[in-house]
Amino acid sequence: MAAQGCTLSLWLWLWLWAPLLLPLLRGARAAAARWSGPGTTPHLQSIFLGRCAEYTTLLSLQPGNKNCTAIWEAFKVVLDKDPCSVLPSDYDLFINLSRHSIPRDKSLFWENNHLLVMSFSENTRRLMPLCDVLYGNVGDFLSWCRQENASGLDYQSCPTSEDCENNAVDSYWKSASMQYSRDSSGVINVMLNGSEPKGAYPVKGFFADFEIPYLQKDKITRIEIWVMHEVGGPIVESCGEGSVKILEDRLEALGFQHSCINDYRPVKFLMCVDHSTHPDCVMNSASASTQRESPSLFTAVHASLIISLLVALTSSSQV
Amino acid sequence: MANYEFSQVSGDRPCCRLSRKAQICLGIGLLLLIASVVVAVILLWPRAPLVWEGKPTTKHFPEIFLGRCLVYTQILRPEMRDQDCKKILNTFKRAFVSKNPCNITKEDYEPLVQLVTQTLPCNKTLFWSKSKHLAHEYTWIQGKIFTLEDTLLGYIADDLMWCGDPSTSDMNYDSCPHWSENCPNNPVSLFWKVISQKFAEAACGVVQVMLNGSLSEPFYKNSTFGSVEVFNLDPNKVHKLQAWVMHDIEADSSNSCSGSSINELKLIVEKRNIAFACQDNYRPVRFVQCVKNPEHASCS
Repeated sequence: MAAQGCTLSLWLWLWLWAPLLLPLLRGARAAAARWSGPGTTPHLQSIFLGRCAEYTTLLSLQPGNKNCTAIWEAFKVVLDKDPCSVLPSDYDLFINLSRHSIPRDKSLFWENNHLLVMSFSENTRRLMPLCDVLYGNVGDFLSWCRQENASGLDYQSCPTSEDCENNAVDSYWKSASMQYSRDSSGVINVMLNGSEPKGAYPVKGFFADFEIPYLQKDKITRIEIWVMHEVGGPIVESCGEGSVKILEDRLEALGFQHSCINDYRPVKFLMCVDHSTHPDCVMNSASASTQRESPSLFTAVHASLIISLLVALTSSSQV
Repeated sequence: MANYEFSQVSGDRPCCRLSRKAQICLGIGLLLLIASVVVAVILLWPRAPLVWEGKPTTKHFPEIFLGRCLVYTQILRPEMRDQDCKKILNTFKRAFVSKNPCNITKEDYEPLVQLVTQTLPCNKTLFWSKSKHLAHEYTWIQGKIFTLEDTLLGYIADDLMWCGDPSTSDMNYDSCPHWSENCPNNPVSLFWKVISQKFAEAACGVVQVMLNGSLSEPFYKNSTFGSVEVFNLDPNKVHKLQAWVMHDIEADSSNSCSGSSINELKLIVEKRNIAFACQDNYRPVRFVQCVKNPEHASCS
């Protein structure tokens, strides 16, 4: 009888408190996301293999067989590692197997304009940014990491640089960026976002820390910077200003010939597709984008010619 | 004289031991046995697939198919995240594997069409004819308007080749029918015909079509647009068709909205109780062309 009474009161207690407890439990589970970044992309392996197959079959610029299964096997070693202990060097074999040459003058570096870069590059037809190179293509827009205290992937969240430096995704992009720089040659193009409030050239970022330092001076003719501004958007920085000046000075100090264009016309047309009637999109040749160049040999010769001409004119007028 | 004759004992002459009936039965049985062995050999002997003149099934087709399906549903259009890509692949294959690739029918693709339903918003449908690359460049940058190849099935199949063969349940990686081989009911053509029809049937509001003004006939009656899509627009849902006639930037302007080819389209559309409008060199799309020719006069 006492036991029955106990059971009854237990049930009553649960019935009273359940509506309060359940949401708390649910909330607690949701709040338990360990890291600040999105979790592993579902079906990671199938997407990876599909992209690899598509790239090597349909987009391939050169002969030579890439073994997508082997490339995946090399990549997936990081999926067994502690999510905060993945180094760029862990991707060495993956890069080695998926590496291929980049056509001269076709490299495009960028910061803060991923989608615009993808549209402009036209799937390797016009230019070949990192996301159009095999080792950049397979991981584009994806996320991956192992669970913290167990084997198996974490689909709930993955660490970003805020959580820890040596996370799987950042190390991947560092590794890929370094290789991309090493393999770039000819004219190097850089697209920056002049409407980005934090500055067009992030002084600490992939381009600054993992691309510029690995550019091969002997293979590069010059570097062309395009500072794009959003249609009707704020003009935060332009060529020669703020962080763009910092970049230009750095390239100068490194000995690269460089130039900078505001709102490079071909890219501007692309941005204007959705704003064809906006005043910013009235394109006439008269208002051609302004250009700043580094003090080059050409300019120096030009200047000396003008000076000689002036001297000749003044001396002849004195006669 | 001993009254014994040798009676005919069956053991003496084996061939005549059996009665006539038994002999016939045995003969027939033997014939049947030989026949069934021959049939079994014909059916089970591995045969080579039929040989065609055209390019074969795209290499790594299943991996590419699955990868594209997953990229589309998980990344590009996450509202379709619940689609089962493996099931879509299997249903797709069943339309044509183990069949003669010249005998494919619309019904073969019906299970696939039933499985993948995608509703598109009204006023966001873009048809194209002889202007595929430009149309896709435009929708890619604009992001809110859809060509057939921006829907799930179109996205997966774009630029791929596939066919089957009666002798195998695998796809034919050696060759597929070429358009010149008088094989119109091949798996690829039927697929595009079926999904083009569905795409047109589902369209609503104001629909657009991008035509190539640098051709002698921007509106070509035998194109998929001219023969399938125009006739499957539902006048109860679509009240206007807007044509953008785009000319190559470099070439001289030839046909335009006032030309006879476009007029033919106008008549067909209006007869179906759908209003028609036309624009030469629709500006947003012209901007896409200007990316390659920024200094051209028409880009100012």
